[in-house]
Amino acid sequence: MRKNCTRNGLLVGVVILALLLVMLAVGCGNGETEESTTPAKTEGEYSGTVKASGSTTVLPLAQEAATGFMEDNPDATVEVQGGGSSTGITQVKEGVVDIGNASRDLKDEEDDGALVDHKIAFDIIAVVVNPGVTVTDLTTDQVKGLFTGAIKNWSEVGGADAEVVVVSRDQASGTREMFDQEALGSSKDAPVVPAESAIETNSNGIMRETVASTANSIGYLSYGYINDSVKPVNYNGVEPTIENAKADTYPLARYLHMFTNGEPEGAVKGYIDYVLSDAFQTDVVSKDYIPISEVE
Amino acid sequence: MKGSNGAGGRERVIRFALFAMASISIFSVLLILLFIFKESLPAIRSQGFTLLTTNWSPNVSDPSAGSYGMLAFLNGTILTTLGGMALGAPLGVGTAVFIIQIAPERIEGILRRGIEMLAGIPSVIIGWFGLTLLVPYIARVTGTSGYGILAASIVLAVMVLPTVVVLSMEALKSLPHELEEASLAMGATRWQTIRHALLPAARRGILVAVILGMGRAIGETMAVQMVVGNARQLAFSLTERTSTLTSRIITDMGESTGVFRSALFAQGLVLLLLVMLLILGVKLVSRDKKVK
Repeated sequence: MRKNCTRNGLLVGVVILALLLVMLAVGCGNGETEESTTPAKTEGEYSGTVKASGSTTVLPLAQEAATGFMEDNPDATVEVQGGGSSTGITQVKEGVVDIGNASRDLKDEEDDGALVDHKIAFDIIAVVVNPGVTVTDLTTDQVKGLFTGAIKNWSEVGGADAEVVVVSRDQASGTREMFDQEALGSSKDAPVVPAESAIETNSNGIMRETVASTANSIGYLSYGYINDSVKPVNYNGVEPTIENAKADTYPLARYLHMFTNGEPEGAVKGYIDYVLSDAFQTDVVSKDYIPISEVE
Repeated sequence: MKGSNGAGGRERVIRFALFAMASISIFSVLLILLFIFKESLPAIRSQGFTLLTTNWSPNVSDPSAGSYGMLAFLNGTILTTLGGMALGAPLGVGTAVFIIQIAPERIEGILRRGIEMLAGIPSVIIGWFGLTLLVPYIARVTGTSGYGILAASIVLAVMVLPTVVVLSMEALKSLPHELEEASLAMGATRWQTIRHALLPAARRGILVAVILGMGRAIGETMAVQMVVGNARQLAFSLTERTSTLTSRIITDMGESTGVFRSALFAQGLVLLLLVMLLILGVKLVSRDKKVK
């Protein structure tokens, strides 16, 4: 009996030791990731690990590209995570990831001169409402009034007599930043923020889900996320379409970026080239966004 | 014990292993406390009492220029927790009384399993359930958006139920049988026995059950975030949207930096203090019992 107990105790000790070792190993692993991304190119094939994080707007594109790139290059691994534009930019600067995805331009204080910008697509942000809302067209001032809470009832903009439910994105979302600036007229010195009662959502997907399921709600979405569950409205009479954004008549548009710390090499370069390749741009990017070659 | 050298050596190894395990647990708690305190210091220093106002206007590009008052979210945490307990505590204690006192053995087993299963449902599923069924229902009945303190309270009531039921059951079970028999022998009805003899006798245990349930409610994050509306306003009405400390942390932590991030840790610190108060409450309640 006593012997059994002793053995169990030892076993527990061994398990603890093993756990500690695993932790150590994981800790060490982080330091090695940078090395593993160094190129080992053989006959047009890439190998190694590419890590990317950042904007949830870029995420679906980056993931699809990762799948395709890994099929072409079985020795390569691409890991893509979300986290938002700011996270992506911070992490690529810190070397935590190889590529920082962003749905906005670099801010002045973020630009350390070392980051290389790869524009991968052009995006449009559309104001969307719950399908039950009868309004189909909003002016700049109306959009501003609705989102800041100055307009509280849909009847004030020609809709039914119902309380407006504003849905916005979280503080650090690139989509929100762009929307606050371009649509609400927010600036660094005179920030304009959404109404106090606004529902804050963490991603395009949750935004769509919330607007779709909440009666009398209004929000905004990346063009690629619009589907039948929400209703896009015209902005100053202009429909949010690729044609209008390209023609510059629809103002709520932006570029999507992949940032690297210095010129990319090896698998990282291979991956970005894959994203910019004609095949990927026309097959995948063009479904939701405007391929970069058509804009530049 | 110190008979042979070999056994003593093994004994020592075991003792060391157990000591190591205990140290790791205690050490991690201390580490978390220390870390949260350290991380919230910049916000406490630069914001001071602003942290305790309702002025929440973070500045992402220049965090130190923002204002990070958490009062609205503290208020949200307290109101949703109280709401959850107001619904969950009576329901839980009632269920416990029914299972222990009234239910026939077969039904007791089924109920017990059911409660155990409820405890095992991940909070994100309960939250999703709340989002897709509860919120639209409240919206239809009240003519509001449906999100808010009421929705969060109902979700929390479901989540604290297992804690309250199981611990209340333990409290009722630990009562001496003579108490019930004496009461019934005096001619009291079953209801009178429960109401005037059993519940008062078990009240400390039940109180502990409710307080521990509150602990669960205060810390719940996912499910609450999905239904509370995630707005930054101070809310007192049941159908107004607001945030709790936990839901605010999870909404903003992904991309916050500097003082903004530190202010979120300060919210975590307040959350910890709340939970410590509850633990202190449990201690006080159970110590009284021993004195008596």
